[in-house]
Amino acid sequence: MAAVLVAAAAAATEARNMKMSERRSITGALAAATCTLLGTSSPEPVQAQEEPGWDFNTALLYYGEDNDRVQDLSLNVLARRTFTDDRFLTLGLTFDTLTGATPNGALPQSVPQTFTQPSGRRTYTTAPGDFPIDDTFRDSRVALTAAWQQPLRRLSTINLGLSASAEFDYTHLGLNAKISRDFNNRNTTLSAGLAFAMDDLDPVGGTPIGLTPMRNADNDDDDDEGGNRGPTESKDILDFVFGVTQVISRNLLMQVNYSYSDSSGYLSDPYKILSAVDAVTGDVVPITQMPGIDGPSHLNYYELRPDSRRKHSLYTQAKYYMDGKVLDASYRYMTDDWEIDSHTLELRFRWPLSDSRYLEPHLRFYTQSAAEFYRPSLIDGDPLPEYASADYRLGDFDAITAGMKYGWKTGGGNDVSVRLELYKQSGNVSSSQLIGNQLNRDSYPDLNAIIFQFAYRFGM
Amino acid sequence: MLTAGLILLGTISGCSSMGVEPWERDILAKEEMQLTTDPIEAATDDHIYFSKEASSGGRGFGGGGCGCN
Repeated sequence: MAAVLVAAAAAATEARNMKMSERRSITGALAAATCTLLGTSSPEPVQAQEEPGWDFNTALLYYGEDNDRVQDLSLNVLARRTFTDDRFLTLGLTFDTLTGATPNGALPQSVPQTFTQPSGRRTYTTAPGDFPIDDTFRDSRVALTAAWQQPLRRLSTINLGLSASAEFDYTHLGLNAKISRDFNNRNTTLSAGLAFAMDDLDPVGGTPIGLTPMRNADNDDDDDEGGNRGPTESKDILDFVFGVTQVISRNLLMQVNYSYSDSSGYLSDPYKILSAVDAVTGDVVPITQMPGIDGPSHLNYYELRPDSRRKHSLYTQAKYYMDGKVLDASYRYMTDDWEIDSHTLELRFRWPLSDSRYLEPHLRFYTQSAAEFYRPSLIDGDPLPEYASADYRLGDFDAITAGMKYGWKTGGGNDVSVRLELYKQSGNVSSSQLIGNQLNRDSYPDLNAIIFQFAYRFGM
Repeated sequence: MLTAGLILLGTISGCSSMGVEPWERDILAKEEMQLTTDPIEAATDDHIYFSKEASSGGRGFGGGGCGCN
């Protein structure tokens, strides 16, 4: 996300530069015209610079899922300092507080199910018919970004960025660079970017070894990480982005980006499991615990994903101006070597109500196919597959977002906006992957969430 | 690589017939016509969808920097 923040900031900066250079040429032309009319010579050279100063974008975001699942409260600040000669420094800060519960990957059953918490210290129990959710999830996250932009030559710009973030069980450090060059009277901009990230994971209770049975709880508060627990893990992510931005006409602007992303290292989710089921009934295999032992009531395995993933994305965006209203449409196709294909279509329509107020409806449609190793369960007695995950985010699902933003300018010229959006995911598990009683039960944890954001932008 | 280069050259030369003159940029210069009008909204949305879906990136770099996925 930190890299995205930097990229978004860079895109905004780039866009503003284009705007600024225009503002300058218009100012210059007006100044020259005025001087001609007044019959005087220009008192001093017209300074083609944006006023140095700070511009602050701030926002408070609430994201909440239904059924007591994840809730996130997020504070974001993006500060941009303008220097002379088209140089900019952008600093970003994000602070997230997450609470709630998330599906652990196991299937619902007609009997209660007990699971060991990720910490390995206690167990939790899920009611019959419910999707097992791990309600011990709690985290906070701090992310920082810094980006520097400056012209390289008359038509080229370079952006250099750093990103870092820390959570209780996760740290990230990233570097990125992007070069852009204008062509065709600045109607075409080509850009190339590179980002590298090094992330470390230190899961609560140690990293589980993939495709081994869920451990028992030890009921003590020591941080021992024995048994099927591995050490701290890491992953590296390398991203390339190539883009073309083209002015088509006075009121139409388009962009096409190709991006490639290569992740390697530990890519599993250390908190996700799969149920091991009976080959005929499809019910999760019960475990009889020895007296005095606190542990899972049913047989579950920790998930295991491949240790590399290569993604290709093609993204295109168009901005079209229609008599004061602006249509913003984008489409993204993504494909990867986990056999996930996805399509994302996004539409925003900015509709001015007056000079200082606007409404902006937003629609987003998303669909993805399942990863080749996604499966709702493992069959007890069958040889274990090479990789397996029941994480709903790797399954076959559709999602829709519908929202509305209302924005206005304050008397002091600052921008304020509020937006409310609803996000809904509906999944589908192929009936060929379901066995016996599973066909009569929910096999995919659908998701409904609301997004509320308050944003305030001001300059100093 | 060669193909990519040829496509790039084709794009540049093909695009040269499109576009506007410098004095026709009044609309394109408007804030609401920038590709990213609200950088924080773009970043928070990317973060939410990165956490809940198997895709990321496109507009910019693919993301990461979060234990959420």
